[in-house]
Amino acid sequence: MFLRQEVAPAMIRGVWMSIRLIVPSAVFGLAIGIITGTLRVYGHSVLRAIANVYVTFFRGFPLLVQLYLWYFGLARFGIYFSPYTAAVIGFSLCSGAYHSEYIRGALLSIKDGQMLGAQSLGFSRTQALVSIILPQAVRRALPGCGNELIYLIKYSSLAYMVTCIELTGEAKILASLYFKYMEMFLIAGAIYLLLVSIATWLLNNAEDWLAVPGFEPPRR
Amino acid sequence: MHLSISAGMKAVLEGLPYIMGGVWVTLVVVAGALAMGLLLGTFLAIAHVYGNRALRTLTGIYVWFFRGVPLLVLLFLFYFGLLGALHLDLSPFFVSIVVLGLISSAYQSEIFRGAILSIPEGQLKAARAIGMSDFQAVVYIILPQAFRLSIPAWTNEYTIIMKNSAVTYALGVAEIMARANHVAARTYQHFWLYLLAGFIFLGLTSAGTRCLGLLQKKVAIKGYAR
Amino acid sequence: MEQTPVLKVEDIRKRFGEKEILKGVSLEINRGDIKAIIGPSGGGKSTLLHCINFLTLFDAGRVFLNGEEIDHTDRRRLYAYRQKVGMIFQDFNLFDHLSALQNVQIGLVRVKKIPKARARERAVAELERVGLKEHMDKYPAELSGGQKQRVSIARALAMDPEVMLLDEPTSALDPELVGEVHAVIKRLAAGGMTMVLVTHEIAFAGSLAREILFMDEGVILEKGPPQEILYGAKRERTREFCDKIIHFHHKDNG
Ligand SMILES: Nc1ncnc2c1ncn2[C@@H]1O[C@H](COP(=O)(O)OP(=O)(O)O)[C@@H](O)[C@H]1O
Ligand SMILES: [Mg+2]
Repeated sequence: MFLRQEVAPAMIRGVWMSIRLIVPSAVFGLAIGIITGTLRVYGHSVLRAIANVYVTFFRGFPLLVQLYLWYFGLARFGIYFSPYTAAVIGFSLCSGAYHSEYIRGALLSIKDGQMLGAQSLGFSRTQALVSIILPQAVRRALPGCGNELIYLIKYSSLAYMVTCIELTGEAKILASLYFKYMEMFLIAGAIYLLLVSIATWLLNNAEDWLAVPGFEPPRR
Repeated sequence: MHLSISAGMKAVLEGLPYIMGGVWVTLVVVAGALAMGLLLGTFLAIAHVYGNRALRTLTGIYVWFFRGVPLLVLLFLFYFGLLGALHLDLSPFFVSIVVLGLISSAYQSEIFRGAILSIPEGQLKAARAIGMSDFQAVVYIILPQAFRLSIPAWTNEYTIIMKNSAVTYALGVAEIMARANHVAARTYQHFWLYLLAGFIFLGLTSAGTRCLGLLQKKVAIKGYAR
Repeated sequence: MEQTPVLKVEDIRKRFGEKEILKGVSLEINRGDIKAIIGPSGGGKSTLLHCINFLTLFDAGRVFLNGEEIDHTDRRRLYAYRQKVGMIFQDFNLFDHLSALQNVQIGLVRVKKIPKARARERAVAELERVGLKEHMDKYPAELSGGQKQRVSIARALAMDPEVMLLDEPTSALDPELVGEVHAVIKRLAAGGMTMVLVTHEIAFAGSLAREILFMDEGVILEKGPPQEILYGAKRERTREFCDKIIHFHHKDNG
């Protein structure tokens, strides 16, 4: 009954909060990654430089430091974020920087002929980029970006450190309340494992669905 | 007054020696975790590639577990849960190294496994053909090649552990982040102190990356690129 | 009294999945003898040599060295046996992370447990025998195909083999590099080395071997002296194959 009455509601609340952290961060992160990744390859030199600096810092600083900067750091300048907002901003910008690396690598791996081919049909550079190059690059970048999404699921636990109470936070509270550290963290761990495994499965399938014959060597 | 940059700089300068003292703590944690991960990861990779089905399943579960559960949860699980259950009294510092090391061993085993599998079968055959045992062949022929191939991925693993080590602050390990936080609580210059912490981590990852790049050059096999 | 063959292989069978690759192959070779195996690609020649060395485990059959059967489950015996049977691979299989010298040395140090300094001396001597002393510090990736194959011969010789198995030692080489490897093999022959040589180089095989075995689809179809097999084979399959490669060979040379 303890499980039913106390643990389950809290854990469900926690998972829901975790998902509310992960999904928007994943979407924003991917968008940021695609934009900055593209800018770093095809952008104007100033934009390119800015995007490079962004990636350097947001990949170079530990995520925890970034979260603290958003939540505690900016407060001194009168900029207050809720724990949730600070966490989503932190996750999005950090994972965007990692996505950017994969997108950039994928773009560089696509042969010049693709751009030339599109331009020869009358595409503008931007059109060619959006409708020819990026779709290919995203497929190539999928394994890397997918890994990054998995990382995001796990890193979402750091939201607890800026007092956004998600799965880890709920587990911590329950554990301290009932002195059941082992049990609560095992349950939380198992839920993360489940989330990660589901995401891995979905991403593997996405790779298969998006596969184009001969475009990339089959996995395994 | 607190908002001025000069107040921030003052806090940074005053806190700097104390925070830099955390560099050593961070370095020991990272080095310990990497070493432990290297040792365990090597065994796991060998067990996974050359072991029987049971061994393969076991290592698979191990890797799945330690790659799937967040660091923070594992730190809490080990420090608050496992130590309590086992009635052990270990320092947060030690537990942090072990947890980071266990996670890293899962990732490193994947790195080495990929490298071992990418070495042509003929290498093993040739080693056997001159009378080496499988053990000797793995130790003298396969692993030296696999380790070389692994250096770039290993460098990446180093930067990840370095950054993740900041999370050990949650257990109260007196590393860079904890110390920055400590000074911030006193001076109310959170922003500048976290920025400082960020730059120190950035410096540590770039320095390490450069060192490992040199190592890679040093052990590179002439004329050999894969 | 008949002498005991150095190496004797009895009725080896091997299948990969559905396909039977070796359908009962027997072979014996006396000390100092050289046998050449020819036959179309995919006929199981490489598989046979790998089986003889237990690099591929076979389904049935027996292998004897100097009259003594080899039990591959006895690890110590197996490792000792493999030292006695030198193996030369089609694609060299030099250890990519070791220099030429280290390639030859490592078996001496790790398998024969010879002290490093003495092992080095021996390795240098072996490399000198194949004419590569001045290249001993180069890594495999810095050597030509012919040089690589000569290092691999030196590596095998360093283990003091009683018999050598050579699997198309020159087929991965550019034509201009074939000669240097053939020269080394000829010198081995002159020194009395027992050899089983798989090759497509008919002329070379004919000049070296006392007997040629024609292998196709997992069996030794026919064997006999070179002249007989190459120019007067009894079997249709053998004649066809020999005609083809002799023709090719002549065209190639003229
Ligand atoms: N490890 C293996 N698994 C499955 N089939 C194999 C394997 N090794 C060799 N074979 C098959 O065995 C046949 C004989 O190969 P091989 O011994 O290399 O012939 P040869 O050396 O005479 O050209 C080929 O059809 C080849 O595909
Ligand atoms: Mg062959």
